[in-house]
Amino acid sequence: MARKNEYKNRIELVQGTLDMLILQTLQWGPQHGYGIVQALHTQSEEVLQVETGSLYPALHRLERQGWVRSEWSQTESNQRARFYEITATGKKQLASDHDRWRRMVGAIAAIMQPGGKA
Amino acid sequence: MKLWRRRTDDIDEEIATHLAMAAAEREERGESPQEASRSAKREFGNTLLVRETTRSMWGREWIDRIMQDLRFAWRQMRRAPAFALMVIVTLAVGLGATAAMFTIVERVLLENLSYPAPQRLVLLQESGRRGEQEWTPWPDIQQWTLKTRSFEDIGFYTSASGRLFLEGDSAAEQISQLLVSTNLFSVLGVKPQIGSGFADSKSQRFAQAGDESTVVLSDSAWRDSFGGRKDILGRVVRISGQPFTVVGVMPRGFSFPWNPSQPQVWTAAGFRQSDDTRDRPATTYNAIARLKPGVRLSDAEAEMKVVQADVAKLYTDPYSRDLVTSAKVKPYGDSLIRAEVKRALLALSGASGVLWLIACVNVTGLLLARATVRQREIAIRGALGASRWRIVRQLMIEGFILSAGGSLLGLGLAIASLKIFAHNLATQLRVKGVMPDARVIAVLLVLTIGSAILSAMWPALASARASIEPALRKSGGHASQNLEQRRLRSLLVVMQIAMSLMLLVSCGLLLRTIYALRHAPLGFRTDHILVGSMAIPTYRFAGRNLIGDLYAPLLQQARALPGVESATLMTEVPLGQTFRITFSFAVEGNSADAVRKRDFRAQLRAVGPDAQKVFGFKMFKGRFFNEGDTAGSQPVLVVNRAFVKEFSKSDDPNKVIGEHLLSFQKDRRAIVVGVLDDMRQVSVAQQSQPEIEVYLPQLSPTSGFYIAVGGVAMDLAVRTERPSSSILPELKTLMRKASPELANTNFTSMDQIVEDSYGNQQIITRLLIVFGGAALLLCLSGIYGLLSQLVSQRTREIGVRMALGAGRGQVIGMVLRQAGRMLTAGALLGFALVYFTGSIVKGFLYGVAPYDACTLAAVGGLLFASGLAAAYLPAKQAAAIDPIEALRTD
Repeated sequence: MARKNEYKNRIELVQGTLDMLILQTLQWGPQHGYGIVQALHTQSEEVLQVETGSLYPALHRLERQGWVRSEWSQTESNQRARFYEITATGKKQLASDHDRWRRMVGAIAAIMQPGGKA
Repeated sequence: MKLWRRRTDDIDEEIATHLAMAAAEREERGESPQEASRSAKREFGNTLLVRETTRSMWGREWIDRIMQDLRFAWRQMRRAPAFALMVIVTLAVGLGATAAMFTIVERVLLENLSYPAPQRLVLLQESGRRGEQEWTPWPDIQQWTLKTRSFEDIGFYTSASGRLFLEGDSAAEQISQLLVSTNLFSVLGVKPQIGSGFADSKSQRFAQAGDESTVVLSDSAWRDSFGGRKDILGRVVRISGQPFTVVGVMPRGFSFPWNPSQPQVWTAAGFRQSDDTRDRPATTYNAIARLKPGVRLSDAEAEMKVVQADVAKLYTDPYSRDLVTSAKVKPYGDSLIRAEVKRALLALSGASGVLWLIACVNVTGLLLARATVRQREIAIRGALGASRWRIVRQLMIEGFILSAGGSLLGLGLAIASLKIFAHNLATQLRVKGVMPDARVIAVLLVLTIGSAILSAMWPALASARASIEPALRKSGGHASQNLEQRRLRSLLVVMQIAMSLMLLVSCGLLLRTIYALRHAPLGFRTDHILVGSMAIPTYRFAGRNLIGDLYAPLLQQARALPGVESATLMTEVPLGQTFRITFSFAVEGNSADAVRKRDFRAQLRAVGPDAQKVFGFKMFKGRFFNEGDTAGSQPVLVVNRAFVKEFSKSDDPNKVIGEHLLSFQKDRRAIVVGVLDDMRQVSVAQQSQPEIEVYLPQLSPTSGFYIAVGGVAMDLAVRTERPSSSILPELKTLMRKASPELANTNFTSMDQIVEDSYGNQQIITRLLIVFGGAALLLCLSGIYGLLSQLVSQRTREIGVRMALGAGRGQVIGMVLRQAGRMLTAGALLGFALVYFTGSIVKGFLYGVAPYDACTLAAVGGLLFASGLAAAYLPAKQAAAIDPIEALRTD
């Protein structure tokens, strides 16, 4: 029961948005897995907590699709880590994901706030 | 694989880094190192799961899993080698039989003719009142060429008469020479590899003027006789003394007619005036045509029938016209396979398929038994999270490995059995040196997968479906099968019994057939006779008398050999299958009597002195030839009883004795002086045919049929008590001295000739004995396996029964009764199957009915006796159970 409470404040990621969020995070520069988790956590004002069980499969899937590439190098604290970097095709993908997401949010908003537009 | 392993390590390291970073940050926030690392791990979750899912993103985890399964299956086999061996041997029997049969079937029925688009090659034949005519007069072929539109072109061919010898660089070799139309090679779609072949012109297909003495060699004739010399074109070669100019060599692997027994050569047929007639032409031809692309066989035949109706009108003689009123178009490939061979092969393939099924069913039983032992292991795997699919896959992979082992061993068995049956295959099916090829391996692969699925699928699904908990709760080693599984296994054994019975009954019927054939009255003696089949080099005796210059001295020398009782010559010994001469009456007219005489056919045989001494022919009436019959005396004939029946429509020999049937020369008419009792001439299973015999010493070069009867082939038959190995070298020396070509004369014993003439029955019987025997063994091992497992599972129950007073006899009876129930059920099912196979087997039987009660009873008895014997071992084992021991265990 304790575990369930821990997760109470977090929101489950909408299906398919994880890839977009990862690519977005990588726009600011190469980052390792832990860094991505932290970045998403802080930037979402501690609302989003990405599961490692989803993150790593997602990173490797993105790499296989050629949207990111990875390289082992040193962190600031002199630790060896695998850094992921967005590729040119990754950027294109991000743009199109972003676009689709905006339309989706708009559509959902229109449904949820029927009077808003009028 | 290496790359794969690196990727796994990579992910592991990445996860470790993540954990280290998370722990470091927590430490910075003031947590103790242990606490930091623990909570970092907790937050991360299941590292193994993350690793597996991440790796699966690269989509190749299945290779890894299969490798794992393979390793595990290999360990399983190593752990129970006896079980693995049993399964492999069982499958090998079924797969080996099927592979061997398919090898033969593929060679005989699915053979690829090496002509381009062979399916468009067709034979054209006339047909009429007396069925299909094999040969056609040239004017009719000419009409077809002019009037039909279905064919690209029509070619024709015929064999040159006599036995022919090609004089090569070193020796003369027997060849087969064909007289062919100049367009034959283009109809077949094959060009010579050297030279251009025959000059061809659209207007007529006989040899162009001056080309009658040209020859095209086959690749094998070129290599065998001329060592493949390059300067062959334009050389003059001699065929039986006649000069021919070589104008081409056909490519390697080309033959026509397909699959000859001797090297072939082809000569452009020269046109003779006698070709241009429909009335008793001297030479008639086989016609072969190539269908135009897209023209169907049935359409071509329809067109041919229309054209043939007009062709028939051109015949002036009504008798001849009646024989050619219609036409047939047959695929060339089909004409090469004898119908009875095809039937025999298909039936035997069916039998081998049944044996394969029995083997698979047997293995299913074995795997089910094995699954019981492994119930706990599988339950543990399930409890540890293996999905059902994973367990099924694991068991299936084990099945595949066993099946692959079985098919490797089976391939070995197939090769061995093809070697053992090589003689039968060569004499009865005319296939030599067959070995499994790529296509057979491919079929074997399919069968391997089939066997694995058939035998392992069911046990695998059953194991995966079994609930985990009860299996785990039970104490080790004594896991038992439920009732359903036990019933299932009994059912499998019953199926094996039924199928084995089916094979055994067929086998029994064929054995009875062979017995009947062996005891069929042949009408002559076969013991202690050696037969040499000579191809006569007639050209060496041109202008001389073969009878006096070759045969008489040869016979004299053979008789003079030590240990030779008697010797004779004969155009063909009975059942010899080497050389047959057909006799027909030269009658004109269309009265009922004339038509009957024109339809009449008899075998003509020339025999030498002492034929009766060697073969012990019995006379029905009159006398056989004797020393009094000479070249100068009254020519005489001997006929057989079948001739009398057919000729005079009665069994009265006096109606034929004294008749003039044929003339040796214009003024020398031969009369019948004796009637032989019937004997088997063509095959043991075939009744006597009408026959006329002439006496070799009475023939002379001036006799009308001297060359046909005396100058083609001759069998030397020698009666001797000496073993063939000691006398053969002497006989061969005799032959070589008589003429160098005779050095290759093939010798065999009369007993072997009789054996070979049993025909397909012989090979069918031998193979069925192998199949039936194997089926019986598998079936017995099935019965034994099931019962001994049941006994060991019921140890406690039997112990209780014995403690309560059951005697040893009662326990034995209990187990035997169980076997008896399965045997009865199997036999009943089996007899039902026999009802269906009866119609297939029927065609191969001689002297026995397809539902012969004796055979059925004998086979049933054999199955019961051996089945109960197999059950007796577990029964004894059950009776030996010590009740106190049995009750104490567990």
